[in-house]
Amino acid sequence: MNKMKTLPPSLRDRKRYISFQIISEEPIEYSDLESGIWNTMLDFLGEYGVSKTSMWLMKDNWNNDDQKGIISCNHKSIKDIVATLGLVDRLGDNRITFKILKISGTIKSLKKRQVQNYT
Amino acid sequence: MSYYDFHVHSAFSEGESTPEEMANRAKILGYKGMCFVVYYKGKENLEKIRKEIEDVSKRTKLEIFLGIEARNIHELNKLAKIRREFDILLARGHDINFNRKSVEMPEVDILTHPEFERKDSGLNHIMIKLAAKNNVAIEINFREILLSSKTTRSFILHNIANNVMLCKKYKTPIIICSGAISHWQLKDPSILQSMGCLFELELNEAKKSLTEIPSRIIEAVKEKRSRKWIMPGVKEI
Repeated sequence: MNKMKTLPPSLRDRKRYISFQIISEEPIEYSDLESGIWNTMLDFLGEYGVSKTSMWLMKDNWNNDDQKGIISCNHKSIKDIVATLGLVDRLGDNRITFKILKISGTIKSLKKRQVQNYT
Repeated sequence: MSYYDFHVHSAFSEGESTPEEMANRAKILGYKGMCFVVYYKGKENLEKIRKEIEDVSKRTKLEIFLGIEARNIHELNKLAKIRREFDILLARGHDINFNRKSVEMPEVDILTHPEFERKDSGLNHIMIKLAAKNNVAIEINFREILLSSKTTRSFILHNIANNVMLCKKYKTPIIICSGAISHWQLKDPSILQSMGCLFELELNEAKKSLTEIPSRIIEAVKEKRSRKWIMPGVKEI
């Protein structure tokens, strides 16, 4: 099957990556976090609003030990996404708080920062 | 960046968490200081709370202030007379007459959630002008948004947006606070900042309402608590 040609960089979404850490009573599983974030986003921003953000919770970058993860969105909707993360205060019976670590244009620079923090 | 949260209730007032839990969480989230808000229950109680706050402040190395929230006009008048005994005077907005009285008093530092339990925004252009003149900051309370949902939340957001629009027009200080009653409700400064941006505040304005405006209040408080201060606009030279 032929692969669809990718868009040239000038026509692609300008992405931003939000790195965050969850502070919670008990460790959180990725699936609970994903449903919690999506439900709150849809409640607060609505279906149309969420569609404008190009929001995606990146499963490959979720670290269950550190409870750190990355959300991608477009450059115009960082404020919407970050403000909405503040409204996720409970996952089931588990109370949680988001700590925003860094916002960047590439995943590489986010990871570099995390490594710098450890050393 | 020095971030401050000036509206936090601990176990001293209606809060669920101990001051220590609150201070530790604020430290993790990157705050430089916070204000524990209590209700006035006499001078002895105030002294006791102040001592405990100082202990917590030393242990956590966080700047902690003592704020008193007035709930009615009678309480507000009483607190204005003993303004030197505590750090920050907050007025709990709700009733239109109370909101008006609060913005008319230079002793008041912050008018908290003026749209609380109201169908309108609780402030008009005249009151906002008075707030600017008397340097009373208008609060955006995050807990109000957090704990509401659906129709109520949309009304609250609309009313806050209205107040922000007027504050921007008349250059009235805006302060963004978590209004937390538990350490789980304390929010990252960038979350509060982003919420401010949703109300049409520019990024630097939202940042100011978490950094510069609280710092200005601290400076004004230091002046008010000095012996040279007599009343608003009058001091010994």
